[in-house]
Amino acid sequence: MPFSLILLLIQETIPKRCFGLLSVFIFIICPPETMLSQRLIQGKITDSKGDAVTYASVFIRSANNLSLTDLKGSFAIQANPGDTLSVTFLGFYDYNKVLDSSLYVTITLQELNLNLNELVVLGYGVVKKKDLTGAVAQVNAKDFNQGIMTNPMQQIQGKVSGLQISNDNGQPGGAMTIKLRGNSALSGTGQPLFVLDGVPLDGRSLQAGNNPLNFINPDDITSIDVLKDASATAIYGTRAAYGVIIINTKKGQIGQPQINLSVSTGVTSILKRIDVLNPSQYRAALQYYDVNRAFDKGGNTDAMGALLQHGLQKNYTLGISGGNENGKYRISGNVLNQDGIIKNTNFEKYGISFTGNYKFLESKKLTLDIQMNSSQYKQDSPWPEVGAAGIIYGALKWNPTDSLINADGSFKRIDGILNPATVTEKVKNNLKVTTVLGSISPSYKITDWLEYKLLLSINYSTGIARSSVNQDIIQPGNPPGNATIKNYELQTSLITHTLHIDKEIFPHLRLDAVAGYEFTQFENKGFSLSGNGVTGTGFGNFGLDYTNYVQYSSLTGRSISSFADATSELRSFFGRSIFNFNEKYLLTATFRADGSSKFGANNKYGYFPSFAAAWNISNEKFFKVHFINSFKLRAGWGKTGNQEFPAGSAQAKYSFFDGGIIKQVNNPNPDLKWQSDRQYNIGLDFSFLNNRFSATIDYFNKATTHLLFPSPPIQPAPGEAVQRWINLDGQIRNTGLEAMIHGSIIQGKNFGFDLSMNATFLKNNVSGLPAPVFTGFVTGPIQIIQNGYPMNTFFTRKFLGFDKDGFSIHADDGATFYPVGNPNPKTLLGISPSMHYNKLSLTANLYGAFGQDIYFTPLMFALNIGAINVGSNIGTSIYNNPVKESLANPAQSPSSRFIFKGNYMKMSSLTLNYTLGSTNPIFKTANIYLTGQNLFVLTKYPGFSPETNFDANINGIPSLGIDAPHYPASRTLIAGLNVSF
Amino acid sequence: MFQRSVLRIVSCIFILASGCSKLDEQFQGDLTRAQVGVAKNNATILLQGLYYTLEGVFTSHLTVFPLEELCTDEAIAPTRGQDWDDNGVWRVLHQQKWISNNDKISECFKALNGLVYSSTDLLNYNATAEEQAEARFIRAWAMYLVLDLFDQVPYRDPGESLIQEARVRKGLDALNYIISELNAILSDLPSGPEYKANKYAAKFLLMKCYLNKAVYENRSNPVFLPTDMNKVIGFADDIIKSNKYTFSANYFDNFAPENGSKGKENIFTLQNIPGTTPNNNLYLAWLIPLHYNQGPAVNGWTTLSDFYNKFEVGDKRRGMVYTSPGSPPNPAGGVNVGFLVGQQYDYFNGTPLTDGTGAPLIFTPEVKNLEVNNNLQVTGIRPIKYFPDWNNYYSPDNDFVFYRLSDVLLMKAEAILRGGTGTAAGSYGDNPTSIVNAIRTDTSRSASLLPTVSLEDVYNERGRELWWEGWRRQDMIRFKKFLLPFQEKNYVSDPKYLVYPIPDEQIGVNRKFLVQNPGY
Repeated sequence: MPFSLILLLIQETIPKRCFGLLSVFIFIICPPETMLSQRLIQGKITDSKGDAVTYASVFIRSANNLSLTDLKGSFAIQANPGDTLSVTFLGFYDYNKVLDSSLYVTITLQELNLNLNELVVLGYGVVKKKDLTGAVAQVNAKDFNQGIMTNPMQQIQGKVSGLQISNDNGQPGGAMTIKLRGNSALSGTGQPLFVLDGVPLDGRSLQAGNNPLNFINPDDITSIDVLKDASATAIYGTRAAYGVIIINTKKGQIGQPQINLSVSTGVTSILKRIDVLNPSQYRAALQYYDVNRAFDKGGNTDAMGALLQHGLQKNYTLGISGGNENGKYRISGNVLNQDGIIKNTNFEKYGISFTGNYKFLESKKLTLDIQMNSSQYKQDSPWPEVGAAGIIYGALKWNPTDSLINADGSFKRIDGILNPATVTEKVKNNLKVTTVLGSISPSYKITDWLEYKLLLSINYSTGIARSSVNQDIIQPGNPPGNATIKNYELQTSLITHTLHIDKEIFPHLRLDAVAGYEFTQFENKGFSLSGNGVTGTGFGNFGLDYTNYVQYSSLTGRSISSFADATSELRSFFGRSIFNFNEKYLLTATFRADGSSKFGANNKYGYFPSFAAAWNISNEKFFKVHFINSFKLRAGWGKTGNQEFPAGSAQAKYSFFDGGIIKQVNNPNPDLKWQSDRQYNIGLDFSFLNNRFSATIDYFNKATTHLLFPSPPIQPAPGEAVQRWINLDGQIRNTGLEAMIHGSIIQGKNFGFDLSMNATFLKNNVSGLPAPVFTGFVTGPIQIIQNGYPMNTFFTRKFLGFDKDGFSIHADDGATFYPVGNPNPKTLLGISPSMHYNKLSLTANLYGAFGQDIYFTPLMFALNIGAINVGSNIGTSIYNNPVKESLANPAQSPSSRFIFKGNYMKMSSLTLNYTLGSTNPIFKTANIYLTGQNLFVLTKYPGFSPETNFDANINGIPSLGIDAPHYPASRTLIAGLNVSF
Repeated sequence: MFQRSVLRIVSCIFILASGCSKLDEQFQGDLTRAQVGVAKNNATILLQGLYYTLEGVFTSHLTVFPLEELCTDEAIAPTRGQDWDDNGVWRVLHQQKWISNNDKISECFKALNGLVYSSTDLLNYNATAEEQAEARFIRAWAMYLVLDLFDQVPYRDPGESLIQEARVRKGLDALNYIISELNAILSDLPSGPEYKANKYAAKFLLMKCYLNKAVYENRSNPVFLPTDMNKVIGFADDIIKSNKYTFSANYFDNFAPENGSKGKENIFTLQNIPGTTPNNNLYLAWLIPLHYNQGPAVNGWTTLSDFYNKFEVGDKRRGMVYTSPGSPPNPAGGVNVGFLVGQQYDYFNGTPLTDGTGAPLIFTPEVKNLEVNNNLQVTGIRPIKYFPDWNNYYSPDNDFVFYRLSDVLLMKAEAILRGGTGTAAGSYGDNPTSIVNAIRTDTSRSASLLPTVSLEDVYNERGRELWWEGWRRQDMIRFKKFLLPFQEKNYVSDPKYLVYPIPDEQIGVNRKFLVQNPGY
């Protein structure tokens, strides 16, 4: 049989991707026969950028002639004029051309729209998108949300189905609530594991309220991969229960050094206020409720306004990259300065990162990747952020007829309410965090198909928090002024060995496998020292920061403490095999064994397997639907774990206290083991109409069992120990349907319109718990985790309205609590339309969540009816209530009255961009843009923002959907410029 | 060839792996049991911690006190509009309508059992006989309160696993265990000082055990036995004859900032040293009842007018003007200790105070469990037993008082009236009338002489003498008054309220040994 025929047969039966490699292989061992009667046609094949396409198959079907392009994209083939020259290469449209008499042809292949060849970073390796068997979503830089960002998660807010990223409050650099595929955390944060360039991060915040990813420069990110189902995440074992988010930074490219400069600046202001009475309404309300008319102080004050400002934001990033065959590098520097919308609040960050990828030896078999990321940020927050002593609370409650400043110029003081004008000047709360993440990773290609890789990494961050309260604003009887300094240190050290195999083990069956060993060590320590001013003199009025001379404090008003968490270590063995048969059938199996020092001697190791299969139906011969370009079915099952509980829970722990005291502080449980999450996933990927439209649909069903749960101690038990960590019977089930659709709706020469949408439908249910679990502390627990209800169901008195005297009526006189709301969204939606006309483009990103309830504590605590009886402000909704509420109505206890629908749709970014192109001799490319960040939010929720989550945990059991008078959300208008030289 | 390389690499991996730790958890800033064991004076350190834990449980008045007092005729936590509603958790206490998942009840159960645990755990270490006796006394005291309030007393052996359900002693069994413990440690306990567990405190607690023994046998209908009453009298005489305790010059000296030296009646206290003693929350003793405008305060609990009216006008225990070094001048001469009623004045400049609504701050005798009128800030008579330490407002010098001499005398008088044999000890006489009058007519009290003293008189005198000291519920039960109607509770309560329910969550985690108390 002629050789070319064999090749053609092979081409029909084996996966396209292997084809190139295979044919080279065959080409080398048996050079093809030549057809002497034909002419030799030469040519070159490039992609649309002009880069050579190597190993593309070039053939003349009629003559069974075949050739391949070489490293320069050149080929030579025997052919006759009139023959049809065909070129195929994966990731490109097939090319056919009837040859004329010329002996040299230049061919430009068109890339397929769908980037099936794009690499997706799975744990400990990469895989082509088309080989995926699990539910994995990738967001590339070009699709990121635009604006001035403090961390990479903001870039993909609303972009990935199943992934809810919501801001806890509006504080620059503030924390976010990130939940993948619903809510299943009975303890800990419930957030996914973050992996930065292969290094799993600790994920803890140094200080409550700040974001653990603040140290990363969003401008350095090239793509973010979200591993959703257990078949994809199981390789991360014990830390993967809530999904994995892999963040990949930009790398150097071969070629001339390239300089990229991004400059943007913006102005930020409050997005939405909470309605309180204005001065004239307030005066009318004094009459209406018949309270002391002396509360009308005659003035007109906008207390919230006194707190707010238009903040200026600036962001600069300079990136230099380049390289050759021996090495590539990229260096970037970033300066970010964000003023908050509250006076004296600010977020300032400096970052430098370096990445280098080098090849050694003549054979280039030894490579070395180096990654270095260092940054420092400063976060100036209001203090204390929430609660009755907070400034937002003060601004909401401030009597709108009372001035903030006395006639003599001093700040007015009112018992129980912080003067919002004073606190912006007299209260300091500054956090400075320095982070270094370094990794070095040599690898050696032992054979063509076997590679060994070592990864060593250290991630260290240290934070210093300094806060002080000026003696001028202290309420009588309290110590005159306070200064507190806290220090935190968090370190993760990691060593990973991996062996990677990529080999065709049998004809048509390729194995892509990785096996590895990993050891991780976590350290967490810190100290705090605090002093109160000396009675009478305080810290004095020297105009200095109290934290700079804390030794001046009262001897009896000092406290010092330090801590160091028990060493926490993870030792892991893992492996993954991907079998690819004929590009049609894919099978992935992973396994991880994790040993953790946190667990009891009886359960040191946990084992996490997963299996997944995919069927590329469109590669089957029988699949003859022409308008469908690809059609893939996926199914997977896997088990992951969770070890989010404090180190030192398995053995008896005694802690040190003031004055030489040692007390036992825990309820040791030597039987503690992993929480187990089992998940199966069925997915469908397809594209149609020349890949102009593509879609991914996934159904998942996730059951969390052996819930790691802080259970009540069995008395008698140590008084200091509020919890006993156990593996609780019971199950949390999250099910959902996710869909992502992308369409190039209009593809004109000058005009184009693209639309991406994603939707998630979630359901959450708890079963099998031996007893209900309470959390959400609002004067008492207001949420319940109970069989038959969604997680964190609001469980309070049921408010039925008012009686004729203006007192609240509750079902069963308030003696019974009812499930009155669900804080879990039922539907998540993301929409990203984008259009371009010539060099002008307009891109919008909208996202929303629907079906969730929010507990609006400001109305209950700050703005309730009782406030006007003592001369403070109340909520407009209370005054506008058709029923005149009694001043004695005990309205400060939790009830369904304060639960509101949290549905919202938010315009998270809208960007108008103009590309200057490369007409200018200095710039390679340049574009200027205008962005509106958080332009508006459509909601009926009365708080600052429906994106809100105040941490009201009880004994470490997280709360959800509780709003507090915290930092308001903001809207930012930005102008920016990107230039590359 | 490459098989060998693979082998080599795989073996390297395992060498590196085995070089790492065995995943044994090492504490860095805490100690294991073994590390505590090697510490010098480990038991002494743990014992000091135990005293500080007592501070945390008792000084705030928020943990055990509400269960002992707010359910009685002498204390109430009125809901004042937005304040003190807290889902009605306070109201149900005074109304005796609590249910088994009341937060306050759970907190109390947990706190007392925490003391039981820590005092038991200490016995694992190298304690001296005296230290062991102190720990066992604290355990007996905590167990006694658990018995009194909940009837079921869970316990553990030293070193027992905390994931194992704790065994439980009930009623008389629990009492007999407590009595045997107290008897066993008497010889090892020191005779002072009063701020440490001591012999006389143990004898005082034995008096409580025997006096209430009949109650633990049958709470609805106790039958008191003369043998038990004679035990009470015997221990009372031991305490009196020690001559360690006499009446203080001023009744309120026992609770004043300087009560460590001036409080001559105190048998067992918690010593507070400003700025030094951790968990010292005694400031809440005045922070809770005082109005916001009387200093940092939270405008909370009050007494009731019926109870207030049980005092004669001249009885110094009802209220007086008190001074202590460093206290504000009080130029208006307003009553600042005892029961505060009527117009209140600024302690510094004497001006009449107003409340938050701008109305005069006039504490009214009337008070409701749920206030409905606009005067909700000023209702109720405010009890101030501990004179505020103005020099150390938030870390006061006042020692917290558990046991006092006058209680010993009143228990003795009651025991005689309940069938015990009167004995003469000290200067108080051998009969209830002389004993009770010794207290009443002392210049520190200046109340009138009672011609005779009946059991009812002892009951009322206990109220006047020991108000807000944590004994009222026990007394009302022993005198069969607890379920009867009283102010702001106008009905006879169900007898199930004679004991508190075991918190639901504890039943949930210890179904093996705990059963819910009848009726809940």
